[in-house]
Amino acid sequence: MSNSQETFEQLLKENKHKIYRICRIYAATPIEPEDLFQEVVFQIWKSLPNFKGKSSIDTWVYRIALNVCLRSKMKLDKNNQKTTRFDAIHFRQATETIDPFEEEKFKYLKECIATLNESDTSIVVLYLDEISYKEIAEITGLSENHVAVKMKRIRKKLFECIAPKIN
Amino acid sequence: MLEQELKNIWNNSSKTAQISIETDRLVMEFDTKMTNVQRKIRKRDIREISASVFGILIFSFFAYEIPFPITKFSCFLSILWFAYVIYKFRQSNKQNSSENLSLPLKEQLTHKKQLLQYQLKLLNSAGYWYVGPSFITNFIFIIGLGNPTDYNWTNQIAENLLPLTVNAKVGTIIGLGFIYLLVIWVNKIAARKEVQPILKNIELIQQQLNNSN
Repeated sequence: MSNSQETFEQLLKENKHKIYRICRIYAATPIEPEDLFQEVVFQIWKSLPNFKGKSSIDTWVYRIALNVCLRSKMKLDKNNQKTTRFDAIHFRQATETIDPFEEEKFKYLKECIATLNESDTSIVVLYLDEISYKEIAEITGLSENHVAVKMKRIRKKLFECIAPKIN
Repeated sequence: MLEQELKNIWNNSSKTAQISIETDRLVMEFDTKMTNVQRKIRKRDIREISASVFGILIFSFFAYEIPFPITKFSCFLSILWFAYVIYKFRQSNKQNSSENLSLPLKEQLTHKKQLLQYQLKLLNSAGYWYVGPSFITNFIFIIGLGNPTDYNWTNQIAENLLPLTVNAKVGTIIGLGFIYLLVIWVNKIAARKEVQPILKNIELIQQQLNNSN
């Protein structure tokens, strides 16, 4: 196995869940989260030789994931309308029983995120992934202060939407 | 409290699926996809350029064969125009393939917006850079056609194909005019229906990103 392939494997191992979480928010019919996940992974592989280490690898992965997801949602990528399924990526339902209440709560969270605009959605998914404002700023290209101001408003809106649903 | 609960819901949301990846196989599949994508791009380039190359060949033949000086001159203009179209297509394709998805979201949107603005300009100005020059060279070509016997010229195929009489000339110019108007219209429709909505969407997201409220 080559060095780049090892890096790629390690990168997927560490990031696959966070990529999938973002894809679950952005996937819109007829594109499934699994399709979007595959496209993100493909773009990561394609861009990996150009990774210069100017940002952390996590920041870089988030940037690609968000850009691909947004591109798909805005139908900027005509090719992605006909998605290719890669047989080497397998999605299986988790063996451990999924808590139906957790799924219900996630459904509410997704509904509330859907009420936000595209810009706020991209920030909130990073915030929920416990990314620092500094890193969110690096991923989005906004200033740290701007992210903080935006987050204050987004958090309020999100809490107001979800609190009555999950309580 | 609520904040932590939301983060927990979020983190647990990826536990619904077990994702396993066979990296060796995946890399092979990606290689195949890349080859297919490159093949598609090559085919598209060939398709776009072949029409112009065919035009260059035809008008080179006309320039060599036809004796009428004005028509000959228009053939050279047409060849130049076809070469310009090839350059324009190649430039546009190069720009479209310059996507860098690892840029920060804001920069990525700016980059995409520039690409779309270029595409929009190209479509909206098709009348000036595509249709206009082509129609003018065709017009000169047709007007320049004279009487073959004045030049001791005989070429049965060319004589049958070319509009040599006044009526045939007028009919051909009008026909070409309609075709070119249709091309302008199709380009305008593509600009309005395909490019402009995406551009508006990008501008909206840019506005949302820049606003603090």
